[in-house]
This record gives sequence, structure tokens and C-alpha cells, in this order.
Amino acid sequence: MKENTAAGLEMICIACPIACRLTVSQSGPDVTVTGNRCARGDAYGREEFHAPMRIVTAVIPTDSAQFPCAPVRTDKPVPRDKVRELLQKLYATRVALPVQSGDVVITDFDGARVIYTRTLPPDEVASIGEPGAESKGDDKVS
Amino acid sequence: MIHRNVDAVVIGGGSAGLAAALALRTAGTTVAIVEREPFLGGILLQCIHSGFGLHEFRQDLTGPEYAARFVGPVREAGIEVFLNTTVMEIGEEPTGRSVIALSQNQGVVRFATRAVVLAMGCRERNRGNVAIAGTRPAGVLTAGLAQRLVNIEGCIPGRRVVIVGSGDIGLIMARRLTLVGCDVLAVVEIQPYPSGSARNIVQCLNDYSIPLHLGHVVTRIEGRDRVEAVRIAPLSDGRADAGKERRIECDTVLLSVGLIPENELSRAAGVPIDEGSSGPHVDADLMTGAPGIFACGNVLHVHDLVDYVTEEARRCGERAAAWLSGARKDAMLPVVPGANVRYVVPNACAAGRKNVFYLRALVVKNDALLDVRVGGRQARSQKLSHVQPSEMIRFSLEPDAVPERPAGEEAVVEVSIR
Repeated sequence: MKENTAAGLEMICIACPIACRLTVSQSGPDVTVTGNRCARGDAYGREEFHAPMRIVTAVIPTDSAQFPCAPVRTDKPVPRDKVRELLQKLYATRVALPVQSGDVVITDFDGARVIYTRTLPPDEVASIGEPGAESKGDDKVS
Repeated sequence: MIHRNVDAVVIGGGSAGLAAALALRTAGTTVAIVEREPFLGGILLQCIHSGFGLHEFRQDLTGPEYAARFVGPVREAGIEVFLNTTVMEIGEEPTGRSVIALSQNQGVVRFATRAVVLAMGCRERNRGNVAIAGTRPAGVLTAGLAQRLVNIEGCIPGRRVVIVGSGDIGLIMARRLTLVGCDVLAVVEIQPYPSGSARNIVQCLNDYSIPLHLGHVVTRIEGRDRVEAVRIAPLSDGRADAGKERRIECDTVLLSVGLIPENELSRAAGVPIDEGSSGPHVDADLMTGAPGIFACGNVLHVHDLVDYVTEEARRCGERAAAWLSGARKDAMLPVVPGANVRYVVPNACAAGRKNVFYLRALVVKNDALLDVRVGGRQARSQKLSHVQPSEMIRFSLEPDAVPERPAGEEAVVEVSIR
């Protein structure tokens, strides 16, 4: 929650579970954080004030009946106000299995890569529920 | 019918079962994992968000990435895995234990074993557990089920959503559903404070301007075939204030109202259950009251962090392996919850070695003090800047903190928050 009040921008610090209520205000070039109990709160308040960043995770549709979704993430935080734009790109993507965890989906979005977070096999080898096959180290159903 | 002879059977292939099985195998025992889903990894696979592994790997991983760190080694270690296989019964044999399981492809699988590790996890409380009045339309589901539908099956359960309860899964799903195009209209929490973490309140609700109604209850769900609306009202002196009731039109209600360790199998096997944690009563080796049956992870008590599940399950596997090898049990003192503590796990403390404990507070408090007394004498005192029931507290006692039990003296370890 960021609320603009006369005193400045109000937010809850998430550096630790105490959840201090911060007020971040600016006068001229100086940004002041109040309400924090420690230095981490000060740093958090400043980053949120200037440019809140978030890791984005999502799933993109696949061509598979067995695994219809491939989970993905950004490999570093991206600006929060660009999250929707990134999601539109991802939702327009359709992927053919197999995919490997760590493979790149989008090479550059505001300096971040989007990568798969789960290894998914193609449908035809993904017979399920065979303990023998599973125990031989076959990666098909992880 | 398939027969297997193994030293240990691990029931459940989620985060707890994987870590316990690896620890057992590393210690040289033969292990089988029995998992009812068609994949290993458990609930982690539907938790596509990040925030896992900060303690265990010093990295910020998603659920599937965290699971893969264990699934790979389990495969390489030669642990036999039975997928799509549901355990029906844990039996007692002259030589140890039996585990009877059913699988669609394999039929009946019967394990003869000496140790069993319970790692079945927990399940969500549902509408029947919280008694919400109103009709019985389609569109009422638990937050975890919605998470599975959206992240694994690729379905969106509705368009206009109200979330009941502010547990972490509910908060995560508020964000998730918003990002796939749903309108999340409200999160309704009966307590005056959120039950999820501050981090999730900020990043899941506040980032998307989703209203959180604290101290409110759902008084009625409306709709004949499909949910049409919910009515919510603030609590006043513990009762819904009908004069301030309002109606929110929606087509879907998600419930995020707590988790219950899944102990039907344990109970049927005669394992005593602790009232505070709702999981098995365990000694310092994480062995339950039934000899040879161990427990770890969310079936033992509901954790907030998978990292702690891994830590606990690894220790469980190590202790189970030691027990299998015939190691003599250390002397143990009972551990009991004192003031402001709902439960402490494990329920015993071993003399002469390091002991790690997890507990949940009954109160919300800043600048609290953790107070551990052994036989009335303070053994540890630790400042806690903030405690609340939804944040599990971990602490450890060094080997010299617990003396061998003095003969004839009634010594217990009492853990309090002041």
C-alpha cells in the first residue's frame, strides 16, 4: 500500500515481520524515511519510493494435454509498473514441450530474462504411474 | 500383488518425504517413496511464485525449482518411487511394519519394512470446517485448489472473486488471479489482524489495491446454481453487526481458512496425536508414539516455510536411519508449551546433543521474550522483536543446555513467551 498523504508516501516495510509503517517524504533532493526501526527499513523505503521492483512469475500455455502450463519467472526484479506489459507478452506465447528448467523464454525485458522454472516432458513419453520406470532415474514425470 | 522389502517406507513425495528419503538413503538404508499424485514434489509444483529456499540454498527460488533440487538427487540415489499410489494402511508385523498401498497400474503393493516415515502433508480447511451460512452453489473452493487449477491445469475458476481468510495461500491467490485477469473484490478476515505475512499483504494485496476487510465475517453465500454474491459484516463484540452488512456481487469464493495435518493414516495405525499441533506426538528423534513410525513436515505441524520442512525432514531421516542401525536412544526430557505458546515440536529434548524446536505463539506481541526452562531453571532466554501466531518460531538448545535426567526428579523443558 502506498498512499499519498500530506506528510508523504505511506507504506508497510517488508524487510522483516515487524512490518513498520513507514512514511517517505521528499523535500527538494532529500528523501526522508520515518517510522522505520532499523537501517533495512530506510533502504526499503527509499527503493519503494524511487522504483519498486518485483520478481514476476506466471504460467504460459503449452501444446500438451498432460502439462497444459509451463511455469516461468524473471531472473531478476523488474519495475512494478511494467508487470502488466510483461504478462501481456507472456500470455501471447504458446510453447511446445519439452522445456527445461532454466531455458530462456524472453531474452531481455527491461534487463531481465524470463526463464522456465520446471522441466516438462513431451506428452508421448509421459506415461504416468510406472514405479519401475520412475526408479531408473527417468525424468519423465517430475 | 507386488511385494517389496525395504528398510524404510516414506509416505508422501513432497518436500518432507523427499528430504527424509534422501537422508535415509545417504545413511545407507534402502528406501521407497509412495506418492499418490503422478509426480514428485507435492504442493511445491503449484507454488509457482518465488520466496522458497532463502534459508536452505541462500537463493530465492520458485516452488518447482525448489522441488527439482530434491527430485534429481532422489532419482540418482536409487530410491524406488511409486507414483499414483495411495497408502491404505500401516500394519504391525512380528518383524516390523507393513504398508499396504493401491495403484491403478500396479494393483496392490505390499511393503515389508522396519521403519515408516509419515510425510503426507496437510490439507485445507473447507467450507464445512468454518460453517458459512447460505446456499450451496458452484464456485466455492479452497485457495489451494484454485492455485492448482490456475497453475497446473490451466483453468481460471471464475471472474469476480471474494477471498475468505487472509492466510498466505489466499493472499498469493489474490495476486495470481488478478494477474490472470480476474477481479478480486475483497479479502475478508475474521481476526483484527491478517493471518498471512506482512510481505504478502504488501506484495499481493496492496500492490494491486485489493481491499482487506479485517474483523469481518461472511454472513451468507448467495446463489442457486452458481455463486451470485456474498454478504459480509464487521464483528462487534464477537457477533456480526447486521446493521453494517453489505453485499458483494461475485461468482467465486475462495477459502483460505487454515490447514490441517492429514493424519487419518497415522490415527488408524495407533499413532497418538498432539492437541496443540494436530500432528503426531514425537520424541527428539521425531519418532511418534508408535515404535518405528516417524513423522516430519506438514503432517507433523503446519509450517510457514518449506526451508524448515526440509531441515526437519532431513533430521527425521537421519534419526530414523540411526534407529534402524540399532543406535541406543539418548535420554530425553519431555517438552511442554508454557505461557502464550500453542505448541512446541518435537515434544521431547535429547540430552547431550543439539536440539532444534519449532513453536507457535498464541499472541501478537512486539519485544517479546522466549523463555526456556529445564526443570525450572532458565536454560535459554532470547529476545524476539515480534511474535504472532502465523509466524512460526525456530530456536535451538546447545548440547550442554540439557543435563541427563537427574534420578527421581520430575524434570521437563517448558517453553514460554513473555
